[in-house]
Amino acid sequence: MSFKGVYVLVNLAEVVERILTFLPIKSLLKAACVCRLWRECAHRIMKSRQEVAWISAVGPSASDGHALVCAIAHELQKVYILPETVLYIADADTFHGQGDVQRQKKARKKNGSEIASVLENLFPSQCQVLGVVTPGIVVTPMASRSSRPQEIEDGESGLALLFPKIDGVKIQHFHFFKDVKNKTFDESKLSEAGLKNNPELRVVLMFGYNTHKQGANRFLHQVIDPLNEKNIIIAGGQVDSLSSFTSENKTCNRDSIGVVGLAFSGSKVQGATVLLAQEVYDERTAEACMQRLKAANIPEHNAIGFMFACVGRGQQYYKSKKNVEADAFRKYFPTVPLFGFFGNGEIGCDRIVTGNFILRECNNVKDDLLHGYTTVMTLIHFGTK
Amino acid sequence: MSGSERNNVVFAYESSVHSINVLLSLNDQRKQDLLCDVTVLVEDQRFRAHRCVLAACSDYFLTRIVNQHDADLVITLPEEVTVKGFTPLLQFAYTSKLLLNKDNVSEVSKCAEILAVHNIEASCFQFLKFKFSEIENQQQDCPRKKCCKSFCEKVSQKISCVDPGDLEIDEVEEFLVNEHLDIPCSKFHRCQSDEVSAHFQDGASQGCEAFCLEKHNTAGFSSLCPKYRKFQKAFKSGQICSLGATSSSQDVQSMSGQSLDNSVFQKSQESTDTKKKSRCEPDSVEMQKITGTEDLESETDALYPSALCSIEQADDLTLSSNSDVGRHGFNSVPFPSSYEPCGLHNSEPGLAERSSADTGNGHEIHKENLSPQQAPENLSPQQAPAPASGMEEENNLSLTNLSTVEREVAEHLAKGFWNEIYNTETTCQAPLSPAARVCAEQINSEKKSECPWLGMRIGESPERTFTTLSSVQCPFINTLATEGCSNSSDLSSGDYVKEKQQEKCLYSCVVTLGEESETDTEGDSESCSTKEQECEVKLPFNTQRIISLSRNDFQSLLKMYKLTPEQLDYVHDIRRRSKNRIAAQRCRKRKLDCIQNLESEIEKLQHEKNNLLKERNHILSTLGETKQNLMGLCQQVCREAALSQEQIQILAKHSSSECPLSFLIPEKDQPPQSECEAIVYSALPDGFCCLPAVTEQCVSACEGSMFGPTNCRIPEVTQFPTRVSEKALIAEHCAPSGMIDFCQQMTDKCTTDE
Repeated sequence: MSFKGVYVLVNLAEVVERILTFLPIKSLLKAACVCRLWRECAHRIMKSRQEVAWISAVGPSASDGHALVCAIAHELQKVYILPETVLYIADADTFHGQGDVQRQKKARKKNGSEIASVLENLFPSQCQVLGVVTPGIVVTPMASRSSRPQEIEDGESGLALLFPKIDGVKIQHFHFFKDVKNKTFDESKLSEAGLKNNPELRVVLMFGYNTHKQGANRFLHQVIDPLNEKNIIIAGGQVDSLSSFTSENKTCNRDSIGVVGLAFSGSKVQGATVLLAQEVYDERTAEACMQRLKAANIPEHNAIGFMFACVGRGQQYYKSKKNVEADAFRKYFPTVPLFGFFGNGEIGCDRIVTGNFILRECNNVKDDLLHGYTTVMTLIHFGTK
Repeated sequence: MSGSERNNVVFAYESSVHSINVLLSLNDQRKQDLLCDVTVLVEDQRFRAHRCVLAACSDYFLTRIVNQHDADLVITLPEEVTVKGFTPLLQFAYTSKLLLNKDNVSEVSKCAEILAVHNIEASCFQFLKFKFSEIENQQQDCPRKKCCKSFCEKVSQKISCVDPGDLEIDEVEEFLVNEHLDIPCSKFHRCQSDEVSAHFQDGASQGCEAFCLEKHNTAGFSSLCPKYRKFQKAFKSGQICSLGATSSSQDVQSMSGQSLDNSVFQKSQESTDTKKKSRCEPDSVEMQKITGTEDLESETDALYPSALCSIEQADDLTLSSNSDVGRHGFNSVPFPSSYEPCGLHNSEPGLAERSSADTGNGHEIHKENLSPQQAPENLSPQQAPAPASGMEEENNLSLTNLSTVEREVAEHLAKGFWNEIYNTETTCQAPLSPAARVCAEQINSEKKSECPWLGMRIGESPERTFTTLSSVQCPFINTLATEGCSNSSDLSSGDYVKEKQQEKCLYSCVVTLGEESETDTEGDSESCSTKEQECEVKLPFNTQRIISLSRNDFQSLLKMYKLTPEQLDYVHDIRRRSKNRIAAQRCRKRKLDCIQNLESEIEKLQHEKNNLLKERNHILSTLGETKQNLMGLCQQVCREAALSQEQIQILAKHSSSECPLSFLIPEKDQPPQSECEAIVYSALPDGFCCLPAVTEQCVSACEGSMFGPTNCRIPEVTQFPTRVSEKALIAEHCAPSGMIDFCQQMTDKCTTDE
């Protein structure tokens, strides 16, 4: 009996593959070490898993450490994809180690960089980790793609988006910061990051940090303006600080003004973005905006939504109604998970970019990307399989 | 690999720009009307194009064009296709770019559908339609939609039924108090209009008046200010007369209209007419209109009692929230006495204005303005602009808020009134406006001290009053008033929602919250102070602490005090709000930073430019100097080396054009030489005796001025002809070869010397 079992498991690829599909990635990688057949099967399975996964942490964790760290440590065992790029967003108050009063005794003195390094170490070494810290988080709980997204403006929370290697989609990360010595922005850096001379570029998510400092606006414009000339979607916001950017060494100056982000290129990537301006102040108008996003007709499977809102919006802006924007999104996009943050300023506009056409505003005024008191909603579709 | 195989290898060259360039050149051809072989007729306008392009882009054109062999094909498009919709599509066919804006998006999408244009996805039209309709909604509904939305539908119907009646009651109540019903003819009119409006008002005003009044009273006043109860009672006692008063507002209005010129009368009639008409329709959509017309009407009413009231009401009436007006009725009417001392303390004109407005007869004011001979002596001329400003306010409001018909009416009204008033009382405006403002501010401050939440709301109004008053000179400025208006509507509808939801206890706090979120930019300091004041009343600790504490300390602070859930909520709200405010400040700062940066950059660049200009001038002057030096040197060298003509030419050939040698050459070897020869020839027949002198002269002149050979020769040319003219011809004919040689020598000498 056991001999027959061994025979099947060593020789019949179909059976082995079927069994291995049920394993999460960590176990799968272990299983791949067993024998050649298993390794081949495991690699095939890994390649077929191309959906974006996410880990979210809402509310304070039971043990020490930031809730996000605990959640990732725990959930990473169950994740099915092999993350190649990770974007995590954590809330500023708890991340910077101010801690809660109730737990002062439990040595929660870890500061942000320590938490960040712990987080980075949780992910595989070849995986690029990009982490930002923001005043508030928007996250869809892990249960399913269609669970209700939550706007968490206050309190310990965080999310990590795990991008696997997706066929036909190239995800690049970039980091520009203002060099004190060299005042002019070197545009060659853009091409290095795949933001220039890249006809396949479709979507750029970008996060400015330390933007309250002098000259930040000028710097942001230097980065954004050349990008804005292209027919791509640019969305993002201004975060409190940058916590992780693993492809560079830590010594780089995190106190200067800078921009980090992810660039998604690939002919099958589609996206649409809408800007909820200050005139959007109740459920009706918010839903009208979502209707507009819906009208862009971006396929909803294999898509994720991003919401970058101003700290001035949220519950208080909508007359104490919680979660208005996230709910409006859920109403029109029942199966698209929504992620994002409450930041200090937003980057975005109304635009649609698909393989077939581009719809954008053609104003003479260039500066239509940096905003305040607004919300930017973005939908990115990674292509059908 | 064999040779034949190697020869069979095929390479594909693919141009990525070809298709784009073909399209571009086709577009150029279209613009120049080159090779265009079809004319498309849209709404009598002709468009030239290429058959092949149109057929390739649209199924419609394909079917129309195929099998047509005329040399000059004209395609007439169906009526549904408009120029506005077709032009962008034609452009799209040639450029693959579709320019859409708010005006044309619907037509373009329609035409694209009819013409079945390829490669245009409907989703972009959808997207834009949503976007533009959203903007439209915001612009149109913004001031009003909230108050309509804040009620649930059924309630809204009921309440807005109540609204008009109630509004008028308050309005006229005020009116009555002010006037003491001393216009005899208004009574007569009242009977008439009573009948007219009976069908509506019977149900509404009687039943609802009490209900509404009760509601404001309990919700608004009783819990906060016991002072108001007195007036509330007083008001109730006046209810009976106020019932009849509803109509009196109308007839007073129409009566005053009669005393005005005819057109104005008609307009006012019209306004009442529209009001009545719209009232009769029970549609819930119509309800909005009713409130709209009601606004208009009650605003015109408001002109009579007093300018200030009208201004304030004009602000608030737009909200069509009965409670607001009710409040105003309370505030402004029952205590004329309480305002007066206030005005007396602070400013004389303010007092005069206020008291006369309160005690005086608004109706008479108007009469006075329009027919001065009737004017009672006790009224000051200052009052005249006051209604004017109120009128203006109304006009602005109505311009933005009301439907087109209503707007028209209002405009006419305003114009009619305005002209009259303006003509008679222009001079008084300047002195008045500050006075009125002062007065308004006093009232506001007074109200604030009495009742914080009221103060908060009205805290907005000085600014608005200010803007309108200061813009009195130009009656149709919309922007300012629109701003204020939309703001105010937001505010007080917010207030109203709160009022309805949360009955009494937390009332004040919540209202301030709802309010502050939107005024943030304007009334920051003001609302802040009142808010804090309030917190101190309610909370055991200072609000400043809530804001300034770090998170830890804040938590511990909350632990320390036992707070009710409401208080906790409240404290959290404050903290959050303050955080938001800080964020907003940061945002503003960032913007300012940006501006500053740009300014400094401009300065720097300008400085740089100046420097560069200076440098340029300097360089130019040194360049000139160097050229001069170089030229001098060249001449010196030439002279010293005694170069021949050929040598100089060679030298010039090899030196750059910059070199002065090249300047020298052409001047020397063409015109001067011929002239010189001519001179010599002509001089010849005179005999040899004179020749040496001539040549001598010539040579010396040439030597004297190295530079301008032409200059020195011209005088000589003019000298000679007198002597020589008659013999010139002969000289040319019979000049011997020896002579020519001599001449050659002479010229050579001339040029070499130079």
